[in-house]
Amino acid sequence: MPEIFLKNVAKSFGKVVAVDQLNLQILSNSFITLLGPSGCGKTTILRMIAGLETPTQGQISIGNRVVFDSEQGVNLPPNKREVGFLFQNYALWPHMTVYQNIAFGLENMKWGKDKIHARVKELLEMLRIEQLEQRYPSQLSGGQQQRVAIARTLAPGPKVLFMDEPLSNLDAKLRMEMRTELKRLHRETDSTFVYVTHDQQEAMTLSTMVCVIDKGRLQQYAPPLQMYNNPASVFVADFLGNPAMNFVDGHITGDGVLTFGGIGVRFTPFNAVTLGERDVVVGIRPEYIRIGDGDMEGTVYSTLPSGMETAVKLNVNGVSLTSVVFGDVDFPVDKKVRFSFNKATVLFDRDSGRSLARGALSAL
Amino acid sequence: MKKTLSLVLALALLLCAAPAFADVAADVEAGQSMTHDELVARAQAETGTFVVYGNTSRITTAAEDFGALYDIPFESNNLKDQEIYTKLRSETGSGAADMVMIQDGAQLTDAIDEGLVINFVPAGVKDAVSEAEQQPALVHQYINKLFIYNNLGDAVPAIQNVWELTASEMKGRVIFKNPESEKVNMNFLVMCTKPEWADRLAEAYRAWKGEEIDLGGYQNAGYKWVAEFLANVTFGKSDTSIAEEVSQETAAGTIGLFVLSKLRSSSVLTDNLTVAAYDAAANGYAVEPFAGFMYPMYTMVNVNANRPYTAMLFIEYLMSEDGFKPWGKNIGAYSPNPALAVNEGDLPIDAWKACLVMEDADYILESFDVEDFILRHCQN
Amino acid sequence: MDAVSARRRAMKRIRGRTLAWLTKPANIVLLVFAVALTVLTLYPLLSLCAETLTIHPGREARAAQQTAGELSLYHFQRLFATRENDYSRIQFYEPLLNTLLVSVSASLIAIVFGGTVAFLVTRTNLKYVKFVSAVFTFPYIMPSWTLALFWENFFKNVNIGLKTSNGIMAAVFGVYMPEWFVYGAFPIALVLGLHYAPYAYILIGTMLRNMDANLEEAATILRTRRARIIRRITLPVVRPALMSTFLLVFASSMSAYSVPVFLGSPVRYYVLSTKMKSLMDSYPGQAYIIASVMICMGVVILLLNQRVTNSRKNYTTVTGKSSRISKINLGRANYPLAILLVVLLLLVAVTPLLTFAMESIIVKAGDYSPGNMTLDFWIGTNLEARLDQGDSTGILLNPRVWSALGYSLSLAAVSAFVAGTCGILLGYGVAKRRGSRLANLVNSLSFFPYLMPSLAFGAIYLAMSAKLPWLRGFMLLALVGSVKYLPFASRSGLNAMLQLSGEIEEAAIINGVPWWKRMLRVICPIQKTSILSGYLVPMVSCMRELSLFVLLVPTSNTLLTTMLMQYSEKGWAQFGNAINLLIIIVVLLVNFIVNKLTGASIDKGVGG
Repeated sequence: MPEIFLKNVAKSFGKVVAVDQLNLQILSNSFITLLGPSGCGKTTILRMIAGLETPTQGQISIGNRVVFDSEQGVNLPPNKREVGFLFQNYALWPHMTVYQNIAFGLENMKWGKDKIHARVKELLEMLRIEQLEQRYPSQLSGGQQQRVAIARTLAPGPKVLFMDEPLSNLDAKLRMEMRTELKRLHRETDSTFVYVTHDQQEAMTLSTMVCVIDKGRLQQYAPPLQMYNNPASVFVADFLGNPAMNFVDGHITGDGVLTFGGIGVRFTPFNAVTLGERDVVVGIRPEYIRIGDGDMEGTVYSTLPSGMETAVKLNVNGVSLTSVVFGDVDFPVDKKVRFSFNKATVLFDRDSGRSLARGALSAL
Repeated sequence: MKKTLSLVLALALLLCAAPAFADVAADVEAGQSMTHDELVARAQAETGTFVVYGNTSRITTAAEDFGALYDIPFESNNLKDQEIYTKLRSETGSGAADMVMIQDGAQLTDAIDEGLVINFVPAGVKDAVSEAEQQPALVHQYINKLFIYNNLGDAVPAIQNVWELTASEMKGRVIFKNPESEKVNMNFLVMCTKPEWADRLAEAYRAWKGEEIDLGGYQNAGYKWVAEFLANVTFGKSDTSIAEEVSQETAAGTIGLFVLSKLRSSSVLTDNLTVAAYDAAANGYAVEPFAGFMYPMYTMVNVNANRPYTAMLFIEYLMSEDGFKPWGKNIGAYSPNPALAVNEGDLPIDAWKACLVMEDADYILESFDVEDFILRHCQN
Repeated sequence: MDAVSARRRAMKRIRGRTLAWLTKPANIVLLVFAVALTVLTLYPLLSLCAETLTIHPGREARAAQQTAGELSLYHFQRLFATRENDYSRIQFYEPLLNTLLVSVSASLIAIVFGGTVAFLVTRTNLKYVKFVSAVFTFPYIMPSWTLALFWENFFKNVNIGLKTSNGIMAAVFGVYMPEWFVYGAFPIALVLGLHYAPYAYILIGTMLRNMDANLEEAATILRTRRARIIRRITLPVVRPALMSTFLLVFASSMSAYSVPVFLGSPVRYYVLSTKMKSLMDSYPGQAYIIASVMICMGVVILLLNQRVTNSRKNYTTVTGKSSRISKINLGRANYPLAILLVVLLLLVAVTPLLTFAMESIIVKAGDYSPGNMTLDFWIGTNLEARLDQGDSTGILLNPRVWSALGYSLSLAAVSAFVAGTCGILLGYGVAKRRGSRLANLVNSLSFFPYLMPSLAFGAIYLAMSAKLPWLRGFMLLALVGSVKYLPFASRSGLNAMLQLSGEIEEAAIINGVPWWKRMLRVICPIQKTSILSGYLVPMVSCMRELSLFVLLVPTSNTLLTTMLMQYSEKGWAQFGNAINLLIIIVVLLVNFIVNKLTGASIDKGVGG
């Protein structure tokens, strides 16, 4: 089973550094997501591993094989890396039928006609598109095109599959459906998936590991829930979760008294860390602000019900806090409500944005 | 790796190296004293297609007859004089011309000096043609361009004196080919400024106006005539089209200066045309001081010839009665060989030599400033 | 020890990088083209420069009183600074001004005419649109002298020019046009403008068709008046197309030779190209200077063009197909406008053909009575005896005409094949490595042949072939044709490649499809029509090309066009007209067949 290693990989386009000193290990059979805002370099990373882009320096290995090494002058072409690649715009060949699209790659592998036929049939079945066999891409809907593209990518049976925002062109409902499909395929094909997306929800729901990238640098590499609860930086914390985490400037004293937004609370870290006295950024997940009772009071600024949950924006002494309440709750605007913090809060260093500690807030 | 490299280099050398051709000059030297049969034998022993460049369309007919006679594969090309000179300078190896038939004595003198072409005088011609017509280049024929006018309407320009063409009422009614596009025309105009012709023009002026010529700013009467003549000229595309145009019913009052042989064309309404020189001869006078001009057409062997002996044999053939036939059957072409008679109704070559301006290569070659002067007057 | 291993590592790295670079077909393609184009276009350019400084044998050496082969500034001094006999004014400055005037006017005429028609066709509900767009490319397909000859034959009269005969206008309608209308700057600019108007039509039309309708709609919603929308929104958006048209038409008009000869010479109106031709005969050094000046003017416009298109890049990016364009309702003006356009097009595109047909069957010029008509010039035999002019058989029975037709067709086919194929590869390389220095170099080099006046291009290749004995005949002609028409092919190749998303090819790369198979099985089939159009334009242009080949043909019977030139120079008008008609028909036929079989068309080739 291939394990993918990236060692000190960097890529620059002229003077622009797209990827900077990247080290990454992708375990076999994992489903990892490269997550980040557009232009952060995640697609470039994917393309470098696949061999579509040549890194400026570094080393990449897939399985036990070095596929790229700037020092040794190794650079295997994409087809020698035994990988599959699913493109954002499907890249189906418009002049070939669905069958031909899937079979074309196999023909190059010098497979026998019968073997190709069997394999194509198998894939058509797997992706439930048997009835589309003789159609041309232009006669297919977006979702169908996506399925064909997946079938084409899977056809040669790659052990590693790269996907570059494959669902971004689909509408919300289809996207949900395809996510389920992909997760099932990951199990069925028994291969490693590397997936690029800017949609944090996709990353959270699909992957076994998430790799957050910003400005060409690796920000955090962890399983999704761990990353959600214990973000390494303000950037990561902000990127994961919807509605986004609340960030409030605060100050903590040596004896653990945290003040922010005119509120004074005690911060008890889960781990034994010495914070000292310093300026911090307090990060509170909206779902951890409970409205109803508690020691704190705020004014309702606006209410955004979405059926299953309701986001409430509170104004607390001029600081804005978002809370999520389960179910359909309507608070009149400007109404005064009481609230409390439960579960975890993260403190970040004001200057570096790095995470300092995770802990609980309690009344003084 | 090294092997391929050396192979490539060898191939490149092979491709770039000029093919070795036989010393044509030596062949021509030898050919001068050969008999006809010897020439035929040597020519027929040569291989490849015999290539001819000619300044005249009828070279094709001559080449066809020649090729059939001696069973020699040929390719004849009718090109403009200038193209022939350009090709002579740039073409070497296979496909280059073996023999050229060309006009413009001035440029030919240059081409001989540059060693592009070699003169060949067949043994049989040496006595038949005057020395001046054998050296430095053998003249195959003379061609004349004459003043020919439309004879319809009230204002027929039946000129008796070339100064009549400079009159204001002739403005735009004189049609001539642009001297820039065919050098023999330029040569004619240049020749007008040569003192001997300038003097005759001055004399003609006196006869026309009855007073001495006032040169104004002009160097001599030749310059004055050329300037004033050109001021009245409209440039036509080709001699054929000038002939056609002047012969039109609607063209009353116009006169052209073009090749006499064009009168043979079926598209020319010959009845509407009168040749000034013929009219003068019939009525016992001469157009003063000239009725047009005449220039030689030369035959030469290309220094890069692949079939030099065939070239010589062809030249010998062209100088014969049969070889001259394609031209000789019509008016307007004259062999330097007095034995070949001119057409009925046409004047003999000597009569033309007396009343037409002839090329003088030496004078033309040193008269660059005259060409500039002429160009100046070809402009509005 | 350390230094050695470090060096070894560095060597390895460089080797690795070079190898990696070389595994990309696009890089190899670009490298090959960079070398080939440097040899094929930069070398001619440099030798052209060298020629301007060299004394040539013959008349030139004699006039300069220098030895042939010597380096000298004589040509420059003579052409630019000779006051005596107004030499410089006559040979250079006046023709330069005339060239500028004619070329700029022709460009404007082409833009206004072609652009208006493009606008009417794409943006209004004009009637007979199909006919208009089908016939509009005719003038481009026909040789440019066609229209010039027609113009003269149609409008000439006994008051002007040669003052010898009346054209149809005077003979039939009794209308005697003034001289400025028939000869000189006005008709030259007009004929060239009409001939190249299809460029404008195609380039501007494509832009208008692809333009995002939202741009105009947004303005409409802001209650902007129609005229103002066109002036402030539509025109700026199509400005790059206008500039490109200007460049193409200017460069083409500048080097046009036959049109100014036909319509300028009778009134002694000369332009640079005609001067270059006559100087080439006796003073090649000065002719090459004129060629260089023409190239420089082309380069200046090219640079201007690049600056304009670059700085406007942001809002000229055309986003494929967007919402349906709202078409202007012409209302009551529709039919009159449509009919006017149809009549105009018939006059420009169809009547010349009829007049050529007519002129090819009459014996004595100007006499259109039935008794004067004959098909001899087409199918007659033994003509030499009867007509005593020209060939002995009609052109359809003349084996030399057929062999010339065969030669012309095969030359056009080979040139088109080479140029078109290179155009695709070049477009591929440039598109893949877009923005890289190498791609930019290759792209610019490939445009250069366009700016080289055909005649000078031919002259330089002739000189080149003198040193390479194997480069002769068909090889030479095909090479010159391929290089000269490469700009068209590379343009449509590049456009085709740019329209194709990179993923399409990468999907095949991942599957291990080798490069040649990707090109043949994936890329080319998808862009079939634009790629075939890239073959069609060189083919058509090659069929009707004269000045490029005139110095290079082994014999004047080699090509139909050189044969035509020879005939018209001899004044064998009927044969000439018949061959001219034959050329046009063959070209139209080729165009039609290719279009019907493959859907490729001239407009896709130029515009893409």
